[in-house]
Amino acid sequence: MKAVLKGAAYILAHTPDMIVHSGTTQTTERIVNPESEYLKQIGGHIRSFEKAVEYPPNQVYIGGMTPEELKDTPFPWHDKAAAGARFGRMGEIMPQDEFIGLIKAADSFDLVMLEENFAGKVKAKLEAHPVCSAFAQRIGAGAEISAIKRQIADFHAEALYFDGAVVGCVKRAHEIDPNLNAHVMFENLVSKASGALAFLNLFEKSGIDPLGVEYVIECSEEACGDMNQRGGGNFAKAIAEMAGAVNATGADTRGFCAAPTHALIQAASLVRAGTFKSVAIVAGGATAKLGMNGKDHVKKGLPVLEDVLGGFAALVCADDGVSPIVNTELTGSHTVGTGSSPQAVMTALVAKPLEKGGLKFSDIDKYSVEMQNPDVTKPAGAGDVPEANYKMIAALAVTKKELERGEIPAFVEKHGLPGWAPTQGHIPSGVPYLGFARDLLTMGDGNRVMIVGKGSLFLGRMTNLFDGVSIIMERNTGVEAACPALREAQGPESVTVKRENRIKVAVTTLGSEHGAENIVRGAEEAARDGGFDVALIGPVQGVKTNLEVIETADEASMYKKMEELLDSGYIKGCVTMHYNFPIGVSTVGRVTTPAKGRDLYLATTTGTASTDRVEAMVRNAVYGVITAKAMGIAEPTVGVLNLDGARAVERALITMGEKGYKVNFSESLRADGGAVMRGNDLLNPDCDVMVADSLTGNILCKMFSAYSTGGAYEATGYGYGPGIGEGAKRLVLILSRASGVPVVANALRYAAGLAKGNVLAVADAELAKANRAGLKDFSTTKNAKTHKTEPVEVNQPAKEVVTEEISGIEIFDLDDAVALLMSKGVYAESGMGCTGPVVLVNEKKHGQAVGILKESGFVGE
Amino acid sequence: MDLENQNRVKNAAEIHGAENVVVVIGAAEGEAAGLAAETVTNGDPTYAGSLSGVSLGLRVIHCLEQEFKDAVDAAVYDEQIGMMEMVLNVDEIVAEMVSIREQYGKY
Repeated sequence: MKAVLKGAAYILAHTPDMIVHSGTTQTTERIVNPESEYLKQIGGHIRSFEKAVEYPPNQVYIGGMTPEELKDTPFPWHDKAAAGARFGRMGEIMPQDEFIGLIKAADSFDLVMLEENFAGKVKAKLEAHPVCSAFAQRIGAGAEISAIKRQIADFHAEALYFDGAVVGCVKRAHEIDPNLNAHVMFENLVSKASGALAFLNLFEKSGIDPLGVEYVIECSEEACGDMNQRGGGNFAKAIAEMAGAVNATGADTRGFCAAPTHALIQAASLVRAGTFKSVAIVAGGATAKLGMNGKDHVKKGLPVLEDVLGGFAALVCADDGVSPIVNTELTGSHTVGTGSSPQAVMTALVAKPLEKGGLKFSDIDKYSVEMQNPDVTKPAGAGDVPEANYKMIAALAVTKKELERGEIPAFVEKHGLPGWAPTQGHIPSGVPYLGFARDLLTMGDGNRVMIVGKGSLFLGRMTNLFDGVSIIMERNTGVEAACPALREAQGPESVTVKRENRIKVAVTTLGSEHGAENIVRGAEEAARDGGFDVALIGPVQGVKTNLEVIETADEASMYKKMEELLDSGYIKGCVTMHYNFPIGVSTVGRVTTPAKGRDLYLATTTGTASTDRVEAMVRNAVYGVITAKAMGIAEPTVGVLNLDGARAVERALITMGEKGYKVNFSESLRADGGAVMRGNDLLNPDCDVMVADSLTGNILCKMFSAYSTGGAYEATGYGYGPGIGEGAKRLVLILSRASGVPVVANALRYAAGLAKGNVLAVADAELAKANRAGLKDFSTTKNAKTHKTEPVEVNQPAKEVVTEEISGIEIFDLDDAVALLMSKGVYAESGMGCTGPVVLVNEKKHGQAVGILKESGFVGE
Repeated sequence: MDLENQNRVKNAAEIHGAENVVVVIGAAEGEAAGLAAETVTNGDPTYAGSLSGVSLGLRVIHCLEQEFKDAVDAAVYDEQIGMMEMVLNVDEIVAEMVSIREQYGKY
């Protein structure tokens, strides 16, 4: 069974006080030169949490920005700010106070004491954290500051600082054992806590079930154990326990910076051998390395850039037919006999695995090497580490006569990446690219990536040898698992070629008022275009077709399969008749207008961009622009339909334009002009995007699609379109249950066009820009107001799987209905059903929830 | 320069005499090469190691410099170092080395 990379997650913890009190550069200086200028100056060079969050390399690390975007950011980066939040697509950046709370939660031996006020605040913050809320109860009531200070003064406890003040301590775990002293316990708890945070993010961001993990390999650079077994372990199991992976065992792998790549190879080998089906690799961060190059940074007037701890986690599983293969046959290793010259090292690590696979240097799309952030290393005189590695790979290709010397810069540009990882030893080594590699090898157009990890063993004073290992990851041609019929029909090779170059979109088969046949015929019509592939998901109810059918038993498993295939990148977009988008997401329809046949994007047609009418329409305008841009209209023109609130929307958009998000308004056809549009402008529009509230948009979409048929059969247009918004992470397009064959076909064409235009990436970029221009503040001011008028003390019940819908609630009451249920201990989420807003609850709580809502008048009797 | 390496250089100079020691630098870029060279000639500019304030003025050369290349077996050089000529900024490193030798070299 081949091994595949199922997911990867990355976390940073911003720990400014730990730079000063725990980083070895600083602790050494305090011993050697306690009165040094450096120690006096360093306080003025510490970044705030906000600065660390907007620091472009940190955003890349958590998936908030791509390496390509970083490459386009002018160097140096420390004075640039990226749009992005503390939670990214692949992980998060945690502030110091929450992280100290996590250290307490990681403590199984009552070693960590937190000051009572601090404990209270941290507890509240953890309660609100998306993956750490369960840890809040482990914080406890806290201790008096005097007791903590006594531990530090009299019993060698390691102080924990926040904003320069002592807020807690880590006690020693033994009176004389140096391996269990307070300092070592502190470092090990940090490693455990940050590793567990990465692990939890892996589950959250990749939708991986912690209960499915069978084995964990921890690969940091710390050692835990007592004086009889220094480094005895086992961080792996401690982290698995903390993250709730109760079905896993595991062990630690050490190899300095090369350890994560060693661990990746081990994980893939365990899966390949069939020993375990699901193996995680994980590592937390090291406080010792904080501010390692601080002296150079301070001397050059820079902020101390090494102010974050790093952590990562990745999951290797048995072949799912979709995720990239971690090819255990194509590995490289620096052996004892390899030698230490750069040629010898690069030959062993890069040329050897290529040779094994009969590959050329240029067959690898991207090499992931030591991904250290050059912003950190260059001022410290260590140069640009990734770039040096890429030059060496290129130079090796020259010696192998695969490249001309003059082509080195072009090779580095094409096959290299900028460095973005914090200099936390093992953290930058090969693995920071795993998440992006998964994107490239599934959704992107890449076919192969090489992961290279290297380590300096002399630091342990056991050998002067160097070390390193490497492994190639490949696109999964996975026809066996995904589509036996297609493989048989076309042969494996033709399928492989198709998978690499073509976009595949799908449509779900259930829910049409005209039956499954209506969907199948529409899909066949779209597939005949030939520019993209079409698959069907769900039961086809006996309808015969040559299209790829991904059969499922029922409607629930159909939706589950759809999400799975979208997440894995096997399909790039999916058309369906019903989907619960979160609030904040609404769909951009596309219709053909009757006067001159011009296509018009209706923003929006289902879903709720915001519960505030004006904000919703402003958002709709942005969503419409996103969609039109993804469809290839470079500068879409926008009209706002003359509805209640239109003038306020126009004003808001103009203000956003002044702040940097310019919307190109169209002029009404009517004599009095203006950007506010009337009926004429619908029938014969002069704009690309028409903005309306989604209920009006919904009616318009129906009118345009079915005005010639009476409504029961939608004959023209492209359907209700893709869900766009901050919460839309998959390309899902909506059709009406009345949509006929031509509309089904057009919706698939629309989906393929949007996938080709990478609409989700366009949405990320446009929303970031719009947020900077005030879109974000629009909602926070609004929310702040709501909270003030009605303070609800919500004691959050634990998150549950919510599958039961309760409809009939007014959109403006939706948030209150959810809050009410939560306050009564029923976990609830808001969403958009096909007939309007819904509250979602667990199926077991449905009756109880309906009762509560009836009693309070949210739904009728 | 690594603190332990400073000790080793200092000990070598004490045992064999400063005039009999040549330090070969392998740093990957100019500034780092210059810092290492300065450490073994003028003393540790970062005042962290045992060569702080100790001006040994040793002979110092970078392995990418022509004189070093001429002094070793060409085949071995090519196998061990040759590739790096394509990778590193040789001119910058050499200029830095020459400058340090001119300023602080005693032999």
